[in-house]
Amino acid sequence: MDSSRDTAELQKLLEQEKSRAMLNELVNKLTSVCWDKCVGTPGSKFSSSETACLSNCAQRYLETSALIVRRFTSMQQ
Amino acid sequence: MNTYASTHSSGANVSQPSPEAVIEQVQRHLAEAYAEELFNTVRDKCFMKCVTKPSSSLSGNESSCISRCVDRYMEATGITSRAVFNSIPREY
Repeated sequence: MDSSRDTAELQKLLEQEKSRAMLNELVNKLTSVCWDKCVGTPGSKFSSSETACLSNCAQRYLETSALIVRRFTSMQQ
Repeated sequence: MNTYASTHSSGANVSQPSPEAVIEQVQRHLAEAYAEELFNTVRDKCFMKCVTKPSSSLSGNESSCISRCVDRYMEATGITSRAVFNSIPREY
């Protein structure tokens, strides 16, 4: 009956989906980049160094991202 | 004529689907897009790793490499996924 309430609700739900989608894209990108850096010929399991590399790579990538944001922000001041 | 309205109980607003219905459709489209993206990525990565010298057919070694590669890639996705979700500050 109240279509403006529906619109607001839809807006909210879409924002949530957008956040989820962005997170998904980040995971996909990260996996792709870190796979290239860390994985040699695929075996029947990861070596401990491959596992460590993948985990480190993901964290360092996120830190790099944050660092770059700060850098750009300080350039604008 | 309006079959949507006849199969849904919220008769009041017959031309607008509910927010939930819209979101469900959005989620379906997104899931499809992700599945396709994942497939393409895994295919390209594993071809690169496992088929270094394409010959007249896929050897047994190449096939098993590809299978292992798919498994490992899914495992890698889990590792990076955990890193991302652990880095999100906890929400109220």
